[in-house]
Order: sequence, then C-alpha cells, then structure tokens
Amino acid sequence: MDFVKENLLTILILLPVLGALATLGHVMFWKEEGKLKLIALGFTVVNFLLSLFLVMDPGTPNAAGFIYEQNVPWISAINTNYHVGVDGLSLWLVILATFIMPIAILSTWNAVEKKRTAFYIFLLLLESAMIGVFVSLDLLVFYLFFEASLVPMFFLIGIWGGENRIYSAVKFFIYTALGSLLMLVAIIGLYYLHLDATGIGSFDFVQIMESLKTGNLVLGANTAAVLFFAFALAFSIKVPLFPLHTWLPDAHTDAPTAGSVILAAVLLKMGTYGLLRFNFNLFPEATQEYAYIFIILSVIGIIYGALVAMVQPDIKRLVAYSSVSHMGFVMLGMFSFTEQGMQGAVYQMLNHGVSTGALFLLVGYIYERRHTRQISDFGGIANVMPLYTTIFVITAMSSIGLPFLNGFVGEFMIMVGMWTSTAVAHPWITTMLAGTGVIFAAVYLLWMIQRVFFGKITNDKNKGLADLDLREIGLIAPLVFLMVFMGVYPKPFLDRSKEAVVAIQERVLQRAGGEIPAEDSAKK
Amino acid sequence: MELVNPNVNLQAVLPEMIVGLAGILVVLYDAFFPRQRNVTAAISLAGLAAAAVALVSNWSAVPAVSWNGLIASDGLRSSFTLVFLFVTAVTVLISSVWTDREDVPVGEYHALLMFATFGMMFMASGDDFVIIFLGLETLSIATYVLAGLRKNDLKSNESAMKYFILGSFASAFLLYGMALVYGATGTTNITEIALRIADPNFPALLLIGGAMLLIGFGFKVATVPFHVWTPDVYEGAPSPVTGFMAAGPKAAAFASFVRVFVLGFPLVKGVDAAGYLHGTWVTAIAVMAILTMTVGNVAAIVQTNVKRMLAYSSISHAGYALVGLLGAGLVAGDESRDVAIAAVAFYMLTYAVTNLGAFAVVTLLGEKNDRRTEFEDYNGIGFKAPVLSFTLSLFMLSLLGLPLTAGFMGKILVFRPALEAGSPLLTTVVIFAVVNTAISAYYYLRLIVVMFFRDRSTEWTAPKIPASLAVVLVITVAGVFYLGIFSDSFIKNFGGRNTKAAQITSLETTPKQ
Repeated sequence: MDFVKENLLTILILLPVLGALATLGHVMFWKEEGKLKLIALGFTVVNFLLSLFLVMDPGTPNAAGFIYEQNVPWISAINTNYHVGVDGLSLWLVILATFIMPIAILSTWNAVEKKRTAFYIFLLLLESAMIGVFVSLDLLVFYLFFEASLVPMFFLIGIWGGENRIYSAVKFFIYTALGSLLMLVAIIGLYYLHLDATGIGSFDFVQIMESLKTGNLVLGANTAAVLFFAFALAFSIKVPLFPLHTWLPDAHTDAPTAGSVILAAVLLKMGTYGLLRFNFNLFPEATQEYAYIFIILSVIGIIYGALVAMVQPDIKRLVAYSSVSHMGFVMLGMFSFTEQGMQGAVYQMLNHGVSTGALFLLVGYIYERRHTRQISDFGGIANVMPLYTTIFVITAMSSIGLPFLNGFVGEFMIMVGMWTSTAVAHPWITTMLAGTGVIFAAVYLLWMIQRVFFGKITNDKNKGLADLDLREIGLIAPLVFLMVFMGVYPKPFLDRSKEAVVAIQERVLQRAGGEIPAEDSAKK
Repeated sequence: MELVNPNVNLQAVLPEMIVGLAGILVVLYDAFFPRQRNVTAAISLAGLAAAAVALVSNWSAVPAVSWNGLIASDGLRSSFTLVFLFVTAVTVLISSVWTDREDVPVGEYHALLMFATFGMMFMASGDDFVIIFLGLETLSIATYVLAGLRKNDLKSNESAMKYFILGSFASAFLLYGMALVYGATGTTNITEIALRIADPNFPALLLIGGAMLLIGFGFKVATVPFHVWTPDVYEGAPSPVTGFMAAGPKAAAFASFVRVFVLGFPLVKGVDAAGYLHGTWVTAIAVMAILTMTVGNVAAIVQTNVKRMLAYSSISHAGYALVGLLGAGLVAGDESRDVAIAAVAFYMLTYAVTNLGAFAVVTLLGEKNDRRTEFEDYNGIGFKAPVLSFTLSLFMLSLLGLPLTAGFMGKILVFRPALEAGSPLLTTVVIFAVVNTAISAYYYLRLIVVMFFRDRSTEWTAPKIPASLAVVLVITVAGVFYLGIFSDSFIKNFGGRNTKAAQITSLETTPKQ
C-alpha cells in the first residue's frame, strides 16, 4: 500500500496503459473480444478507486502546495523532469477524469460493434493522457500529455464517428495541434529566459514560479505578453473560446458517445485548467492587462453559443453549442479575478463535466434506439419513455442552472464574482450580458425538450421505444446524484479548491495592485 | 613543395576500412557464388556491425586528427557515422523482401550499399575538402546505380538519369566552390580554413566560393530551391533505395555541410571578412530553411503517391535539420556548438529510424515493381493488416513530431540551440518550423485517415511479414519509442564528445587583425 501511495500519480497514469496492453494481450492470445469491455471497465474502476486517495488521504501539501508530488529526472540533457503533483485546482479534475471513464466505457457496452479492441485501447490511452495533463508540473511533460491526448481522440472520432468523421477528426487534430505547437515554442523560450536569468535552464513549473516570485527571473512586458498569448492560444482553442470554437461542434457531433462524453467532460477542461495554472501564475501582469479581451470574447461566446444552439436541428449539435456557451461562463469567472468568480469557475468546470457529460450520454441512449438525432424525428416520446424524460429534464435543468442543482451554484458564483470584479470598467454590463446566456440556455433546452418529449407521438417509429434498462439507469444515476449533491452541498468541493484558487488570485492581483517588490521595479 | 610522409594511423580509419573491405568481400563472393542473398547480406551486416564496434570502442577519445589533418576523429564524425551504419544495416534487412520479389542482382546491390556507406563515412570523417569530395563522389556514384537498379522499369531509369545529371551538376558546383575557397585561403584543410578566413588572400573569392559550396550542399541535402530532383528520383527509385537515400546520403551531406560551414566558416569576432561571410551564410541558410520547410510541406499536401509524399516530407525534414545547423552556427561557446551539432546528428538519427520504418512498410505493401504506392492503394487496409498499419501510423506520428516519439525529441533538440542563440532571425525560423509542423499534420494524418477511416471497396489480402522485415519493424518501433522516451543517456553520449575545432576558440578571444 505504501508503494501505491508513494507513486500514486504515476500509477494513475500508467494503469490505463497497462489496461491497454492487457486488452491487446487478451485479444492476441484468446482471439475473442467479448470480455474486453470487462477488462477495460475493471482497469478504469480500479483507477477511479485509487484516485479517491487524493481526497481521502490528502496528506500535507509541500511548500509549493502540492500533494503526492514526485520528481524524477527524465532527460537531463535538456533538464526536463518527470515532475507530477496535485493541488486543489487539479485534484477534482483528476477525479472527474477517472470518474467519467468507467461511465464512458459502460456507455459503449452495446454500441461499439466494430474493432472493439482498438476502441478500448484508445479509450484507455486517452485516460492516461488526460490524467497526465492535470498532474504534470514540468512544462515539457505537460505539453507531452497535452499533445498525446489528441491521438486517441483522433482515432476515436475517425474510426467510430458519424458521417463527417474524417473531416471532423482532422479538423480537431490540426486545430488543436497548431495552438499547442506555438505553446511549445513559448515553453522552450521560457527555458532560455530562465537560463539567462539564473544560469539554469528549466522546464519545471515550480522552479520557474520560484524564480519569478523571488525576482530572479523577470520577464519584460513585451516578452511576457508574447509568451502569454502563445500559451493562451493553445488553451483558448481547447476551451474553446469564441471565435476559436469551430472545431468543437464538428468533433462533438461526429464523435461516438463515449468520445463526446469525455471530450465535453474532461478534454475541454484542459484549456481552462491550463489558463489558470500556467497563464495566470506565470504571467500575472499580462493576464491582468489582457483580461478584457478574454472577458469580451467569453461574453460573445456565451451569447453566440446559446443563440446558435437554439436553431440546431440536431440534438447533439445543440448540446455541443451549449458547451461553447457554458465554457464561456467558466472563462468569465476565471478572468473576474475575484475569489467567488474563480472558485465558481473551478466548480463550474466540474458541473459542466457532469451535466454536459450526462446530456451527451442521454443523447447517445436515444441515438442507439433510433439512429437519428434530428429533433424533427421525435416528438412526444415522454409517452413511451417516462423515466428517460424525467432524467433528461433534470439534467437539462442542471445545465440551465436551476437552484438546488449544481449548475446554479457555479453560475451564481461566477456572476457574483464578475459583478464585483475590477478586471473591466463596468463589470455589471458584462454580468448582465452573461446573464442573458442563462435565459437563452433555458430557451434552447426547454424548447428542444418540448419538441422532443412532449405532445403527441408524431412519428410512428417512436411508438415502440423502450425505456431505459438497468445498465443505462445505473450509468446515469451517479451523474444525477452528483448534480443534486453538488447543487445542495458544494462545500466539500469548494473547500478543497479554495487554497489553490486564492493563491492564484493573489498571484494575479498582487502585482497589479502596485505591490511589486522594490527590486523588481528597479530591474525594469 | 616539400614532401611529407603521411601520418599513417590505421586505427583512425578502421571503421571505414572494415566497411570497404566488407564491400570488396561481397563483390568477390558474388563473383564466385552469385545470387546468394543471405550470404552477401550476412557479410554486409557483419561488416557494418564490426565497423560500429570499431567506432564505438574509439568513442571516448578526445578530438584528434590524423593523416596529416585529412581525417578527424571527433564527435561530429562518430555520431554521424553511427547513423550511416544504422541506416545501411536496416536497409540491407528491408531489401531482402524486395530483392526476392524483383530478382535483382543481389550481390552487386549489397556491394553498392557498402561502397555508398564507405563514401558517407569519409564525408563525415574528412577534415579536408579533398576527402569530403572523394567521399561524396564514392557515395554518389554508388547511389546513381542503386537508383537505376530496376533496369526494365522506365521510372527507375528516369530516376537514375535525373539523379546522375543533377548530382554531377551539384558536384561540379561543390568542386568549384572548394577550388575558390582554396584560392582565397591557400588550404583545403577545414580547420586551417577556419583559422585563415580571418585574413584571406582574396575575400571576394571566399564569398563566391562559400556561395558555390552552399549551392552544392543544398543540392545534396535537397533544400529548396535546389530540391526539384528529389520527388522524381525518390518516386522512381526502388522503395528500399529511396528509404536509404532519404536517410543515409542526406545525413552524410549534412555531416559535411556542418563541418564545412559551422566549423570552417565560423564567426571570428572583430574581423570583417569572416564576419561578413558568416553573416551571409547564416542569412542565406535561414532563408533556405524557411523555404525548404514551407515548400516541402505544402507540396506534400497535394501528393497522391505515398513515396512522393515521403519525398516531399524528406525535403521538409532537411529544413528542420537546417534549423539545428543554424543554431550550431550561431550559438556562443564551443560546448553549446557541439551540443547543437550533436542535435543535428540526433535529428538525422530520429529521422532515419522513422523513415526507414515507414519505407519498410511501404516496400512490403508496394508489391512487385512498387506498383501499389498510391494513397488509394492504402484505402481501408487499417484493420486488415493491423500490425503494418499501426506501425506505419506510428512512424507518421513520429515524422509529425508527436510527443513520446523519436521525432519529437529530435525536433526539441534542434529547436533548442536555435532559440538559445537568441537571434530574432532564428526565432523567426523556429516559428516557421513550428507552423510547418502543424501543416505537415495534414498529410501525415491523411495516410492514417486513408488506412483506418476509409473502407476498402476492392478485395485485398494482407501480405505476410517476412522475418527480416519483422526484425526491421521491431527495431524501428522500439527505436521510435526508445529515442522518444528513454533517450536521456543516449543524447548525452551522442553529444558527449567534442568536435574538432579547438583552434577557432583562440581566434575568437584574440582576433587577428
């Protein structure tokens, strides 16, 4: 057990890889694919249980605020280390990833008919990459996982996706790769800036932070701005921030259900997580200075995403656009630089993961039955699928932000935070505009629900639809439970993330508040 | 002129001699017992292995010269030579499939490969224009023949002819450049040239000579605008030979390129002529690098033939390697320069591993006469030949430079010195390189898309993987991951030995006016 706890994060990363190898081995030796899902499920469940250690037994954080830290030299020729650790910011995201994976695998129980071996292998590799992204504290290692997560997703969309899968998969890959490659240049640039300033080149986030805080490494305003935007571009594409969002609806629509669930629940969070972790911490002045750009774009994204969602004829595409809108809220909260706003943003990341993940799952259920997602093909199915309808409505309400459900807590905190923010001149305008996004959310979701579920059954094919079976209920139940639980009792989540978030907030604001240490200003 | 006894040091050229002897042995054996492909292949492989042992056993020595300054034993030579030996050994293994299928004169084929390697090794070890040129010609003549080995195929003939004419043209440029530099400095020794460029007899000759050399090497490594021969030659040559040409001779040309430009034309501070020469070649190569990457990648996008696509990809990879060369030319300090040179060698190694792997698969799938090399021929084979398709996908991702693969490490290492140099020009070049990497994603992924995401309409059965090719695939796949993940100690040893150029340092500190 000690071994497990000492290497917990490494095990979390490697276990799914082992699972992938086991899957491959199973097929090679036994030549049958029937038990694969059990193997994959087993590995992900164990991974989830292991990840609970992070909450149950957090231990004492080290000086930089990280728990379960590990730091092993990787390629010493370029001084890059395998440095992993978790703090309040990444903790819940890691658990979100490990939690959503068994659900994603169960959701494919009967849906994946072709090439199952490869499907489960890619899912498991994706899990490794996702966890790696959230726990890496070395910039190069972070980049490595960030980029590595593209490949399994590319295959998942391309092989098991819908009609336009090839276009969507390639677009997804190239869009995200372009952004992250510029980040790579910035990462190497930072390495040399650190080398020039201190004599040691470093990719280590903690070490660079230390140098920045002590004033050993001072980034000029222009340098910081260039680096800031190189990082921000990579993350904004991933979030996605308007107008960089165009890959998202395509990727979502064409991805298989498991892929959409993971994409919405976890992959998008890599963007917001990256911004919070790296942009805010490494370039606080630039973050302050250019916050208005992100706030304006987030607000546009919120409204634009909602308006476009309203007119989608395809349920899945509607949910995809609602993601653009919801992620806009997260961005808004982050860039409000208030504790409520930023805490709300972190919380909303989890909420979005749970409720949008659930929505994609539910869309997947109906797609499996009817092989269509067009709203016009449905109507009145509440008559034949009452249970499904109930769950769908609860999930939609959570997505809209109904009080006592999780979405409300996050969005409320974000709006309170934004209202009191000093990041822009008239924060109340921003808040009001963002608030319309909530109203629009109600419009597009409720309108869609009305057209799909209520009224009389218009299409004869829908008359014989079966309601949810036990597996499907079992799958969605934990998500619904979380929606309610997180809506009623957010305290345990917020408490855990508070310290990390406040640290980031202080890091950003301190500099702008004129409290720049004397020796820093002298060097400028 | 005073005659000097040559400073004979057989140990210094032992690897070259072993390879040369093995080549002669192959020829002789083939003369008496023709068409024994296993035996000639075994002799070749044994020769290459022995040469590698001879090379590595002398690895840790400090940089030295022998044969009156003709031969250098230094980091540049050892690292590049290791790449050549690897490339040839893998090529011999890949070719066994092809020599069976096409019924080519196998003994001659192996002999030519060995002689080409012999030439490449001298291109890396020569510290003198004469040796470099001799090495280059030995290599070139062998490769011209290799390209045309499929005598009855028009494309192969075209390939050989084009390669011969344009290659000779390039050699002429190179030779003329060497002559002019000799005229300007009075020596053909590169270490000597580095000392004398500070005070040349005829500065103008030096510049023109440098330009000629640039054109000559530009042809050999296929940089834009001297690249036009590449796609046709690569497409027409037999697949294993194409893989060899893209990995081996290109690396050899890079070895001399680095030796002549980085070590021969260094920046000597405070001296006009040398500074002007240095500034000019750096700018010229920077422009060439940008053009090479961009044209290579953009042209690769529209190709419908896999071999042609890989040819253009090889052009763009020469561009990435040039970024490392520029970094080596600009970084301050000997240590950084040696690290940068090692990075270029490492890049060529990662490219060789990946590219040879890809060509191994392409060779096997190409069937007789390489007729199945269009993208359409790869339609939907993904799950019909999973081993081949997934390994080919892995090689594509490595060429693309995705993390955890060799290609990523290679790119990181060549971009580093370029950014370390801190010049705005080089930073621009690196940004171009990065944007180009994103562009290249399109065509590398396209092969994956074609293999996995499309369905096959016609009947197709996966070819059986012969043992020798299986060995190649295991080596290259393991190599891609090893160089991508566990390359720590490897990189250190690769760059752990200084490169022969010590005299330049003294000049930099005390400029000769």
